[in-house]
Formats: sequence, C-alpha cells, structure tokens
Amino acid sequence: MTDDRLCRHCLLTIGPRAMRRTVNGENCAFCCYGCCIAFQVRSGKSEEWEAAWLLIRLGVGGFLSMNIMLFSLLLYAGAFTGVDARLLPWVHLLLWIFATPALVILGGPFLRETWLDGVQGRLRSSALIVVGVGAAYIYSAFAVIERGTHVYFDTATMVLMLFTVGRYLEAAGRARAARDLEPLLAAESECATVVNGGAETRRPVREVDARMLVRVRPGERIPVDGVVTEGESHTDEAVITGESRQVAKSVGSPVIAGSINLDGPLLIQSSGAGTATRWAQICRSVRDALVRRSPTQRIADRVVGASVPVVLALGGLTMLYWAQWLPLERALLFGLAVLVVACPCAVGLAAPLATSLGIGRLARCGCLVRDPGVLEALARTRLLAFDKTGTLTSGRAHVVGIESDGAGTDEVLARAAGLERYSEHGFGHAITTAAAVRGLDLVVTGDVRILPGRGIRGNADGKAVVAGNGALMSELGWSVAPALSEHGRSLEADGYSVIYIGWGEQVRAALALDDSVLPEARSTVEALRSRGLHVLLLSGDLAHATQRVAVAAGIQDAQSGLSPEAKRAALRQLRQRYNVVAMVGDGLNDGPVLADADIGIAVGSATDLARETAALVLPRDGLWMLPWVVDVARAVRMTILTNLMWAFGYNCIAVTLAMLGWLQPVLAAAVMAGSSIIVVLNSLRLERLPDPIPSAAPDQSAAFESAPAMHTSSLPIIAG
Amino acid sequence: MAYYLMLFAAGFAGSFHCVGMCGGFACALGHDPHGHGATVLRHLLYNAGRLTTYCFLGGLAGTLGQVICTPQGMTVSLVGGSLDSAQRILAIVAGLLMIGMALQFFGLLQGFHRLASGFGSSTLAISLRSLLTARGRAAPLAFGVFNGFLPCPLVYAFVAQAASAAGALPGFLTMASFGLGTFPAMLMMGGVGQVLAPAWRQRGVWLAGSCILLLGLITLGRGILPIAAHIAHG
Repeated sequence: MTDDRLCRHCLLTIGPRAMRRTVNGENCAFCCYGCCIAFQVRSGKSEEWEAAWLLIRLGVGGFLSMNIMLFSLLLYAGAFTGVDARLLPWVHLLLWIFATPALVILGGPFLRETWLDGVQGRLRSSALIVVGVGAAYIYSAFAVIERGTHVYFDTATMVLMLFTVGRYLEAAGRARAARDLEPLLAAESECATVVNGGAETRRPVREVDARMLVRVRPGERIPVDGVVTEGESHTDEAVITGESRQVAKSVGSPVIAGSINLDGPLLIQSSGAGTATRWAQICRSVRDALVRRSPTQRIADRVVGASVPVVLALGGLTMLYWAQWLPLERALLFGLAVLVVACPCAVGLAAPLATSLGIGRLARCGCLVRDPGVLEALARTRLLAFDKTGTLTSGRAHVVGIESDGAGTDEVLARAAGLERYSEHGFGHAITTAAAVRGLDLVVTGDVRILPGRGIRGNADGKAVVAGNGALMSELGWSVAPALSEHGRSLEADGYSVIYIGWGEQVRAALALDDSVLPEARSTVEALRSRGLHVLLLSGDLAHATQRVAVAAGIQDAQSGLSPEAKRAALRQLRQRYNVVAMVGDGLNDGPVLADADIGIAVGSATDLARETAALVLPRDGLWMLPWVVDVARAVRMTILTNLMWAFGYNCIAVTLAMLGWLQPVLAAAVMAGSSIIVVLNSLRLERLPDPIPSAAPDQSAAFESAPAMHTSSLPIIAG
Repeated sequence: MAYYLMLFAAGFAGSFHCVGMCGGFACALGHDPHGHGATVLRHLLYNAGRLTTYCFLGGLAGTLGQVICTPQGMTVSLVGGSLDSAQRILAIVAGLLMIGMALQFFGLLQGFHRLASGFGSSTLAISLRSLLTARGRAAPLAFGVFNGFLPCPLVYAFVAQAASAAGALPGFLTMASFGLGTFPAMLMMGGVGQVLAPAWRQRGVWLAGSCILLLGLITLGRGILPIAAHIAHG
C-alpha cells in the first residue's frame, strides 16, 4: 500500500511540488527531483526503462557539460589566443551546440517544476535556477551570434549539473533517515505467510483474520497478534514494549505483532484481524505524525515562500547596480550568482528531516509521537507534572498493614484469603497474594456470596466469615472493639483503603491496602531533575496518600485532592510561570487533563491508540524511558536550531558576497548544493543517539509485575 | 610530444590493469544485435564517454595545479625549464602519490588501496548496473561517463600527474594521452572478450605498475633535482 502523502524515498511529507513516476510497476510519489533519481537508482530494476533513462540523461548531460567545461577551461587558460584567435567564434559555436541539449536534459525537471508552480501561482526555488540559467544561456547565445568575446554556457550547464548532483546526494542521505522509519510504516503493506491445510500462501496482513495460521521464519517480523501453536524461538518486542531483550516463546506463548522472530520458525494462530493490532495502530499513528507539520516547519515554509520573490528582486537589483560600472555580461554573472546562492532548499529541509528522524528513533523503542510539534515543546519545557495513580504507582493495591484485636496476623490472612480467593476485585487479589507470600494454608470456605460494593461473605468451620468495608460491618451489626474501630478510621483518614475481616459475629481485624510506588519512579524523577526539570505531583487522592507517593518518588512539590477541573486550572496557572507545561498521566483517567496540557504524555495504558488524547505515548511500564525521551527531544530541537542557523546564516552571508560580486556562479552553486548536504549530515547525527538505559533494571520491574506482593513482606506489618 | 607519447604508452600498459575491472564492463556491453557496425559504435561511444571524464578530470586537475603554482597563468614546459618552488612541491606530492599508487599494483600498501577505491564506489556501481543492459544509443555513452568516475588507482595516478603539469591544456593533454592509451585494450575487450589468460593479466598489471612507478620517479625527480642541484651549487 502506498501513501501519497509521504515521499516514497525519504518518507518526508510531499509538498506541492510532488513528482509522480512509475517504478517497478508501482505508482510512486516523490517530494523532489533528487529523491526521484535516488529512488530509481536504488530500487529500479535494470529492465525498467524509466530508471535507466534517467541515468542515461544524467550521463549524457554530464558528457555534454564536461565537454563544455573542458573547452571553457582551455578558453580561460588562454589556449585560443594569438594565432588561434580566429578559431574563437567556432569554439563558441561548438559550446552552444553542446549546451543546448545539455540545458534541455538537465534543466528540464527544474523548468517543469517552475511551470507547475507557476500554473498554481507560486514561486519556488526552482524558479531561481530557471531564471538565472536561462538568462546566462540567452545572453551567451546572443554573444555567439554577435561574435562577442565571452560566452557563459559553462556557467549555465555547471550550475544545473551541480544542483542535480547535489539533490541526488541530499536524497541519498535522506534515504538513510528513512531506513529507520520504513519498518514502522510497513505494518499495512506487510505480507503474512498463511498456512491453509498444507498450502502456504503470501497474503497482505489486512486479509488475515482471527484463527488463521501464520508461519513466521527466523528474522521475519511477526505480522499478527496470536498464540504459538508450533515451534520454539526468541522474539524481540522492542517496538511494542520499548525494551530490547529476547523473550523466549514456545507452544502456547502469546506473541505480539511487530516483534521480530529471532531464531526459530514459528506457526502462529492469529487472535484477531491483522489491521486491529497495536502494531498496525502504531504504524498509522507514525504515518499521521509524519504528515503533520510542526510550528517551526510552518514558519520555515513561510520564510521560504516569501524569500523567492525577494531573492529574484535582489538578483535583478544586483545586476542593474553593477551594469552601471561593468560590462553587462559581468553584471549578469553577479546577478546569476545571487539567484543561485540564495536558493533556500536547506531552510525547507532543516526541521522536517530532524523531526522525522526523532520520531523514528523514539518509535523504534515503542514511544509514539502523535504530533511532531511535541518534540520541540518537550525540549523547551521546564515543568513536568505527574499524575499519581497508574503513573508513578502500579495502580494495583497490596496489603501494607494488619490491625487486629488479638487474632494472629496469619490467622486473619488465612481466613480473609480463603474467602477472597473467590473475589474478582483487585483488593481480593491483593489479599490472596499477601497470604501466598507468607505461605499460609487458606481456610476452606464455602457458601460464598459477593455483596457488590460492600464486600464478600461465606462459611468456614460452621461460622459466618465476612470481609468488607465499615458500612457492611455496621449493617450486619457485628461488634467492633473501640481500639480497632479507632485504628481503622485513622488509617482511612491517612488515605489507605481499609477492609474489615470478621467471623463469629465479631469484627476481628482491619487490613490496610495501598497502591505501590513503581520501583523506577524515584530514579526517573531524579534523572528528570538532573536535566533541569521541575517535577510536580498533581493528584486527585487524599493528602496523606499523595504525600506518601511524593516522598517515595522523591518529589518535593505535591498537590492533592484535585478534581480533573482543578488539575486543569492548576496547569493553566503553572503555564503562566513556566510557559510550556507537560503532564504525565496514565491516559485513562486523566485524558482531558493530558489533552489540555501543552504536552500530554501517557504512560502505561494506551490499549487503544485511536482513543488516546496524549501527544506522546510511552509503552506500558515505560516510565523509566521518560528522561531518554526528553534527551531525544532536546537533541532534535538542537539539530533543528543548528540546521536553521546554518541555513539562514549561510544564505545571508553568501547572498551578501554574491551581491558584492565576490562569488563566481559555479562556486555559488557548488557551495549551495553543499549547504543542503551539510543540513542532511547534521540531522543524521540524530541516528547515533544512544539507546535508552533503564535507570531501574527492567528485570526488577518484570519481577515486580509477576509478584507484586513481594514488596508487602518488606513493609512493616502493623500487628495489634 | 615525446612526453605525451610516453603517457600514451603508459596508458596502454596500464590498460591491462583496466581489463580486470573495466574490461568486465566492456564485455558486458557486448554485441549489438543490429550488426558489427552497431557494436563498434557502441564501444566507441562507451570509450568516448570514459575519455571525456578523464579529460575533464585532467583539465580540472591541471587548472587546480595552475592556480596553486602560477597566479599569472603561464604554462611551463614539463621536463627541464625553470620551475618555481610551488610547482616543485606539487611535483613532489604528485610523484609520491604516483609511487604510492604504483606500489599497490605490486600488492603493497593495501590500506592505501582501500582508501582509494572505497570512496563512493558502491553508489556508482549500483547506478551502473541498470545502464549496462539498457536499450538506446546513448546508454553506452552515459555508462562511459560514469565509468570514468569509478575509483581507480591508475586514474588517480594520472590525475596527480595532470595536476603537476600545472595548466589546463597540459592537464587535459596528459589525461587525453592516457585515455587514448587505454583505448586499444578496451576496444579489444569489447571485441574479443576474455581472451587474456590470468597469468598474462598479472604480468600486464606489473607492467602498468612499473610504468607508473617510473613516471612517479621522474615527476618526483622534477621536484627534487632542482633543489638538489641548487644545494649542490650553493
């Protein structure tokens, strides 16, 4: 599947100057002439006439312009002076004969661009080249007819040749940038090997449905979500989870679309439609992000658009000015140098190349940028506000304390867990895990009934057992020891969730449950602070609970008890002080707040990307990557700034030199082509950014995943 | 004139080296189905393209040498004559480069070889592939033009020589003589294919190396001898 909005070669947005070609039987769209050449050179099959035709034209153009240059060099060196002077008009005529086809061959694409722009009422950089080269050619043709002393066919053809070669080299460099993005855009066009009763067929992923069998060879990308039905292998799920490590897969293991099958062939039963995978969503999201333009890019485009008429005027003025003192031909040459050197190609390239490299770099580690402007904003921000639940904490409860009136801790847990193992509630899970960690034998409980919103009850050893909130206990009218009731109330006031356990018509104990702070929260906050960011906690929870998390994560500044509206108001207030504010949340509960911040960053949820409101989405358990994301964003912004500074500064200096008549047009064209290439090379440095290094080891967080209650045993158990 | 004849001879000897790489291209260009005349035209076009690139490089290198040496733009005779110090230095550098290139023909200085042939060759080689089989009269010409830019120690050595000639015209003539020298072998390759046994080709490569070594020593001598003579007199 091809997308007409992105260049086939460099994957940058196609502007209005799109070129369309048929390569290898496919319709391809390119953003510029250089990409058109480079793509055909790289992927055109030798039997493709068009790719070869392009090279032939370049070769013949090179042949003609080299001959012109050679004779011109000899002319300048004075080889035709003295006795040979009467040969001069004939040499000029020869140059004309060479130059005319060269101009048609090399200048054709530029003329076509200018014409198409002109039809739409626009002026673009190709117009500068056409005007400049055309003027040099027409002047020289008149000089030949009138037997003048100087012709400038060499300048005309060499300018065209240098621009063509420059654009080719630039496009070749941009293809390296696209190499990172290509696998990320491939989800929809990827093919899957579908096994159907012994026969294997290659089909596009979008035609794969649930329960189809798909074979994946080592080294291939797994095209669909599913379960392994045959074979053993390791996979790399970095694109989805952000962590580049090998995960062992055998029969029965679930596999994720987009991960790479490393070492063994696998047969996978698809668990859903090929287009519904997170992988496909990621690809759509990356594609959408690449198509959008960042604010900097919009400014740069406007500058480029406005500069072309200005440069044309400057070129004309330069010529008129110098024509007063110098022969017309010299003045014309100065004007031509101005036109050639002021070509604003590099300015237009500065932002999109760096941004798309940054988006690709982040996406390869599972971080999705949905709006290219967010990278620049994140680089500028000085404030990161965190949501608490599900962001800095795991969002899963665990038992942190037990208050009892005489009953042993183990007995309380064994009875509670015997009952709660029938519960689907998160609290029930927390209690059974706490019992399992202590290695308790659960009390066998029967006749279990769930009381929605209040708790659970059952029978053990012929006595009723109940676990639930305070309201349930008072409803039952069971007696509570005053000390226990007092403790329970104070725990609740501190922001813990409290569950009372009772048997034999008496409430025996109160369990305190709390959300656990992620192990990487503290190191992440420290890393962010070392990058000069102010870190803030905005929570809707009670003050004590918020404060506990703030202390555990090392955040000094915390605001609690905020409703979503209050959070948005707080952000608005902070914006006045910090200008750009970023909000990190789990993307589920705080969607509106994330959407309202300058930069909304979602961590941890993101099950459905289409409904995601955040501009930047980190993978599940990807909080530790946040400092690295900030680094990438800053590197991208720095690259854009240096690119723009170089492009603008270069243009200003070069135009000044050209207007003073200090710059030969051929030299100007060479340096101009070089300037775009420097912008490309500078942007390619982003490729060398280091991979994210987990500040808290990922294994630790994985272990935490499988057994959250490990942490409870390390916490003090308050036994009464 | 004798000098250019010598360069022609060196080019001819050196073309046994070309047979190794460019000869393969010439073979691949092959026969034209339209008859013998068309085949000859094909190969002439290919070689004309190659020669143009060489001459262009020679002219450019010569001009560069001229800019470095003589701001007045005067051309000087190549053997003997009065040489200013800049031109002598240029001759020494060019001579050393040529000797370096020659040594790798004998299997020495392999690192130098990688440096010389690694740069940009992959892109060019890829682009050449589709031209070889392309239809059209102009394809061999375009192919020859690109072929001329393929990194080749032989060409580099002669470009260095052209630069030391310090003038657009002598530079152009240097490379033209060299290029014409490679014509016979390359045309032959197109006609007769892989006729030379590998052993003979090896001898040809050594011959090419010897020629370049000799030229390099002469060029180096042009740079050093006047200084040596000057010192001896002083």
